Amino acid sequence: MSSIAPILQARGLHKSYASGERRLQVLRGVELAVMAGESVSIRGESGSGKSTLLNLLSGLDAPDAGELRWEGETTLSASRRGRLIGLVFQSFYLVPELDALDNVLLAARLLGPVGALERTRAAALLGRVGLADRAAHIPAKLSGGERQRVAIARALMNNPHLILADEPTGNLDEGSGEAVIHLLLSLCAESRCALVLVTHNAAHANRCGRQLFLREGGFHAV
Amino acid sequence: MPWPLYLALKQLFPSGRRFPFFTCISILGVALGVALLIVSISVMGGFGREIRNMIVNTQGEVQVRASGLMEDPRAVMTAIEKVPGVVATTPFAEGVVMLQYHNKPAFPAIQGVDANRVERVIPLRKFVVAGDYDELDDDRVILSAQLAMTIGARLGSKVSVYSPLLLEKLKADEILIPRELEVCGIFEIGHQQLDSSVVIVTLRTMQELYGLGRSVHGVNVKLADGFDPDHAAAAINRALPVDGVAKSWMDANQEFLFVLQLEKNMIFFLLLFIIVVAAFSVASSLLIAVVRKTREIGLLGALGASPRQVAACFCYQGIIIGAAGTASGLVLGFGVVHFRNDLVAGFTRLTGSQAALERFYQFSQLPAYLSGTDLALIITSALIVSTLAGLLPALRAAKLKPVEALRSE
Repeated sequence: MSSIAPILQARGLHKSYASGERRLQVLRGVELAVMAGESVSIRGESGSGKSTLLNLLSGLDAPDAGELRWEGETTLSASRRGRLIGLVFQSFYLVPELDALDNVLLAARLLGPVGALERTRAAALLGRVGLADRAAHIPAKLSGGERQRVAIARALMNNPHLILADEPTGNLDEGSGEAVIHLLLSLCAESRCALVLVTHNAAHANRCGRQLFLREGGFHAV
Repeated sequence: MPWPLYLALKQLFPSGRRFPFFTCISILGVALGVALLIVSISVMGGFGREIRNMIVNTQGEVQVRASGLMEDPRAVMTAIEKVPGVVATTPFAEGVVMLQYHNKPAFPAIQGVDANRVERVIPLRKFVVAGDYDELDDDRVILSAQLAMTIGARLGSKVSVYSPLLLEKLKADEILIPRELEVCGIFEIGHQQLDSSVVIVTLRTMQELYGLGRSVHGVNVKLADGFDPDHAAAAINRALPVDGVAKSWMDANQEFLFVLQLEKNMIFFLLLFIIVVAAFSVASSLLIAVVRKTREIGLLGALGASPRQVAACFCYQGIIIGAAGTASGLVLGFGVVHFRNDLVAGFTRLTGSQAALERFYQFSQLPAYLSGTDLALIITSALIVSTLAGLLPALRAAKLKPVEALRSE
């Protein structure tokens, strides 16, 4: 194990949900450490708890048991999450009233006032994802692949140390999905940003530095 | 700009959309309520001010009435004029007579005024629309405009005046000889009741008609600017050398003014409900928006927004709709108030109801006056109600947990 502290560390994570009168145990003692700049893919069958795990890793949900550390700290406020972690979702979740540039800028706006510096960075990120000429377009005028690229630019806006991507190609055709994964991996590599990629697609998963398979509430070797 | 305000503006006025329907309808709802309030309260205020001016212009700010007859008006006026704030006084005598011109009878109120003093208290001259006020003497009369029209009298016409004193003579089997007076002027105050049934003669003529000798019925008083009529009336009452009472114009018309104020307040509260209804529709639309945007709200939380900021975003939407609606309502309301007489004229022309309007509302022009207090009350009420409309959706949005909101279908 490296002597450098991981960006993200999960120890013995347990999570269960009520299902009728029973409790459904989704995660059973998950252990995970993600180092700076590392890319990790998580695969698993539907209902295996991938998204639940990602919600725990992003601090959006709390585990029933176990411990999470983000850059060594056990607490993650909403604003710290905004700085530390970039989130990419399967359904993009762009704000329909904002154009592409404003959607990217939104990540920065939530954390403080935006100025010329942030605008320049947002425009540069849109250029980097190949949408410089679509900056003024609202999401309804963009294709699925373009929307996901805007979402990736938004995730990178605050220079996060970690990107958590939950099936980012789930709503895209094969070609667009391939382009999005390529973009995500190359941008994370460029910015030395760690990536945790949840996907069903084995080919996409295999492009990450480390591959994990979630089954019966824990990781198994692929 | 704080992001909740920025996002609120963007949600109300989205990029790339020229006509945000929901926003425009919401703003219009509030605007109509505010405009209606502005127009109604302005017109009510205008009526109130017209009535105040009319009362002050015809009675003075304070009126002193003797219990019976005021036998030595000069002594009373001298005593009143020593009271601080009193600028001028004028005696009056009043009653009712029968007026006849070419067999057309009328029964107007008659006012006897001291032609040398009355102008200091009551601006009679400015109401004379035909003839010459200066020609008023003991053999002449000034008629109100509608009365002159009704009996067909013109300048120079000789009208016969029968006073109650003549009826006394009739009882004593004396010959009934009316007083012949020449019309030397026609006045129009702008108040239908006064313009249709009042005649003005000199005090001496009135004293002769009623057999008053040198007595009068009372004294009208003008005050210096800024003097409170109620305080002045109290001071005059203390200084009165005869049995009588001084009343300010507000005191003398207390019940009428109370009814006017009550009407105005009732109209305010009733029309405020239009804004409340508009606010409910805003609240309902924003609540639907919260449900529709559940995932976006979850996203904001996931990206680092606090529940308070999310709530502020929806609160701002209520405030923006309220502010824009209030501003539009003010423009619309003041526009209607500005062109009110044209609008009323157009309406009465269409319906042929000009005469009825003048007869029932007693004003030939629709008056309007909005005090600063009323304006502030309307603006504050509209803003508070609209802000409250945004509060309920804001609280609901703030309660959403990001992880559950993102999971919602």
